[in-house]
Amino acid sequence: MKSLFQLYIQQFKTTFATMFQYRASLVIWMIGQVLEPLVYLIVWSTVSNGNGGSIGTYTTATFAAYFIILMLVNQFTYTWVMFDYEYRIREGYLSFALLKPVHPIHSDIADNIMSKTITLPILTVIAIGLAFAFHASLNVTPWLAVLFIPGLLLAFALRFLLEWTLAQCAFWTTRVSAINQIYFFLLLFLSGQIAPLSLLPRAVQIAAKILPFYWTIGFPTELLLGKITVTGALIGLGVQIVWVAIAVFLVRVVWRLGVKAYAAVGQ
Amino acid sequence: MSYFRLVRVFFRVNLVGEVAYRINFFINLFQSILGLGTALLGMAIIFSFTGSLGGWRPNEILALVGVYVLIGGIIRFTIQPGMEQLIESVRDGTFDFTLTKPEDAQLMTGISRFGIWEIINICLGFALLVIALVRLGGNIGGLAALEFVAMLLTGAVIIYSFFLILATLAFWLVRVENILTIFQSMYEAGRWPVSLYPAWLRYGLTFVIPVAFATTVPVEALTNRLNGVTLLVAFGLAVILALVSRAFWKIGLKHYSGTSA
Amino acid sequence: MTGRNPGKPDRFSRPAKLTAAGPVVQIQGLSKTYTVNEQEAGAKATIHGIFHRKKTEVPAVDDITFSMMPGEIVGFLGPNGAGKTTTLKMLSGLLYPTRGNATVLGHVPWKREKTFLRQITLVMGQRNQLVWDIAPIHSFELNRVIYRIPPADYQQVLKELTELLELGPLLTKPVRNLSLGERMKCEIAAALLHRPQVVFLDEPTIGLDVTMQRRIRSFIAEYNKRFGATVLMTSHYMADVAALCRRVVVIHHGHLLFDGELALLLQKFTSHKTISIQLGECQADLTAYGEVLSCEDGRYTLRVPKAETARITERLLANLPVVDLLVEDPPIEEVIDRVFTEWNP
Repeated sequence: MKSLFQLYIQQFKTTFATMFQYRASLVIWMIGQVLEPLVYLIVWSTVSNGNGGSIGTYTTATFAAYFIILMLVNQFTYTWVMFDYEYRIREGYLSFALLKPVHPIHSDIADNIMSKTITLPILTVIAIGLAFAFHASLNVTPWLAVLFIPGLLLAFALRFLLEWTLAQCAFWTTRVSAINQIYFFLLLFLSGQIAPLSLLPRAVQIAAKILPFYWTIGFPTELLLGKITVTGALIGLGVQIVWVAIAVFLVRVVWRLGVKAYAAVGQ
Repeated sequence: MSYFRLVRVFFRVNLVGEVAYRINFFINLFQSILGLGTALLGMAIIFSFTGSLGGWRPNEILALVGVYVLIGGIIRFTIQPGMEQLIESVRDGTFDFTLTKPEDAQLMTGISRFGIWEIINICLGFALLVIALVRLGGNIGGLAALEFVAMLLTGAVIIYSFFLILATLAFWLVRVENILTIFQSMYEAGRWPVSLYPAWLRYGLTFVIPVAFATTVPVEALTNRLNGVTLLVAFGLAVILALVSRAFWKIGLKHYSGTSA
Repeated sequence: MTGRNPGKPDRFSRPAKLTAAGPVVQIQGLSKTYTVNEQEAGAKATIHGIFHRKKTEVPAVDDITFSMMPGEIVGFLGPNGAGKTTTLKMLSGLLYPTRGNATVLGHVPWKREKTFLRQITLVMGQRNQLVWDIAPIHSFELNRVIYRIPPADYQQVLKELTELLELGPLLTKPVRNLSLGERMKCEIAAALLHRPQVVFLDEPTIGLDVTMQRRIRSFIAEYNKRFGATVLMTSHYMADVAALCRRVVVIHHGHLLFDGELALLLQKFTSHKTISIQLGECQADLTAYGEVLSCEDGRYTLRVPKAETARITERLLANLPVVDLLVEDPPIEEVIDRVFTEWNP
């Protein structure tokens, strides 16, 4: 355990040093991260204002709060390994990872956490600015605020494990950009990024709650927004735990299969 | 005319590399359709709650999405790949080969690389635009159509000049690999009418990263929303940027030749 | 569970201990065949190809058997595509064999047990494990924790490697700013921080200039001498092999052609000698004496059958105004080429 902890600390240092080298790209990328939820915020506000100030249970001010919180939750939970993996395999970095006596997922987890330690504070400041600019209104229920924390952490764990598994597809095909696009298409619509889930057709809502996507972004966002009952929140946490367990299982199985496939063929 | 022969040659080289496998076509087609589907589905959700978005009717937004996909395709077909190639070649020194060729270096960078599969997006965008126009009926007068084409062309000049300025920075700054992505990130906002956005964002999308001129302005012309001021600003900006970018390019070339042995 | 596992020998404070005087690497009938899908052009073939893939079998390594004792440096020779890298990848656990078995330090490599991975290392020429944008020292620190190297031992090893490889000013420069040779030195250092008992080197000097090649060669020799590590090295630079390896294993088309002392190999496959004679100028026709390879400023290079060397030398000295004469073995490259071409699969 101690050596694993040291490994994480060391990886933090490495990530920080690398990020420092790429600070300009980081700024450009963050602009993109802010812009997408911002655009939807504006579009939905326009629709809401044109409809007498609200759509469903969302007022214009609530829409603003929703998308701003969504931006932060998305930032907290997102990963990028699935874009990297094909490159890693092709350039031989995966071979080096396989030669090491530690599981490569650890360096990805540490890298992910370190990166967000830097970007989240900046984005939070931007979020506060946007909240004022768009008159976001937030009525936080104390119980739900408390439950928000485990909800957010479980969402991160679930999304990381799922997307790390997704990245492993690179073992079997080079068409990863197509597969990634399918994933992000589903994520966009079913996680609440394009519209709060309660505004989508009933069938879609049910599908979204069965599939894991909603539980990675939409659920924690709605928790903080107070759009869920306490009972609903507790059930939701339970669903998240189940999905995390499934995801852990998936990661182990797919990784083992992936290494077998890789070791049968090499590169 | 030898320039156009060059274009054909470069195009063919890029093409041959890509179509070696027919399956590439189907994969790219799938991805383009998925991208378009995302935009249309988003639109459908919005318009299930309202009949007009900031004064824009569904078919007008449809036209906007069509132009968005079409122009995006054109940018990723010609402008962006060429500029990316320029930045790379400055970094690894192969730009010297471009300089020793008899053709103008700026013209060469425009044609060295093509994003072949963007032709699919260009076709899809164009098809969507045509469908939207049909659905809008005969409301488009000759003047509006003319303005539309004019705005598309000025938009193209503005975007090209903008990319050229960004890419020219590569002559001074070593680490500019990602700089072109700033346009990519902001372009997302072009899927909706820029008039929806608050003033500061509108300003940014018009004068800082000229996304508005690529998508909203041409469609404004098409839907009789274009006022004379915007038209003149567009023309003016196109001329200024074309001159500035060319001048900046020349300065960049001098700097490059001065420092390399 | 902190602290070191009391059952494991502390390999850092004592010199490399040999648990048994047995072979470190044992390979038996090891084979690797790749199955390759055939790509065909044309629309009909492509669509047909989606359902019925035509597969061809490419044997990369075929039934090789050899062992290595602790502390040996063995050269693994062969032309491109002979199966050297494939063998090394199997021995380091990156590839599963199709047939046969192997043990390294008592472990089956492709089981990839953590205890196994901590005792070996693989260096691949022109491939980087170092993180690209930052200084090598950061990657070294990363390896330190990955391999659980105690801090005092780490400092010691780092000092030694820095000295032997002259790494001083390189440690704090970003890897992307280093030259190819400097990068390779840092790569090698990173791979040896955990003092592995078995070192696999795959073309470690490829692409480097002559001075750097020599420096890395002397480092490997020194390292082997000091720490007794077992080294299996592939190279297609004969100078590497000649300088470092008494024993060579020759592989071609996946088959083992020769396993023994380099000197023996040269002797066995050398059937010719080279005679260098210095005359006044290049006018004379010496084809009657042997195969004329070249002539420059009156210096002829002749290739003659080994058995005839004495007789031809006598005739040359008797018939020509010889200023200088030298009898040499042909270059090693030529000998090795002969090994490859004269072997009939």
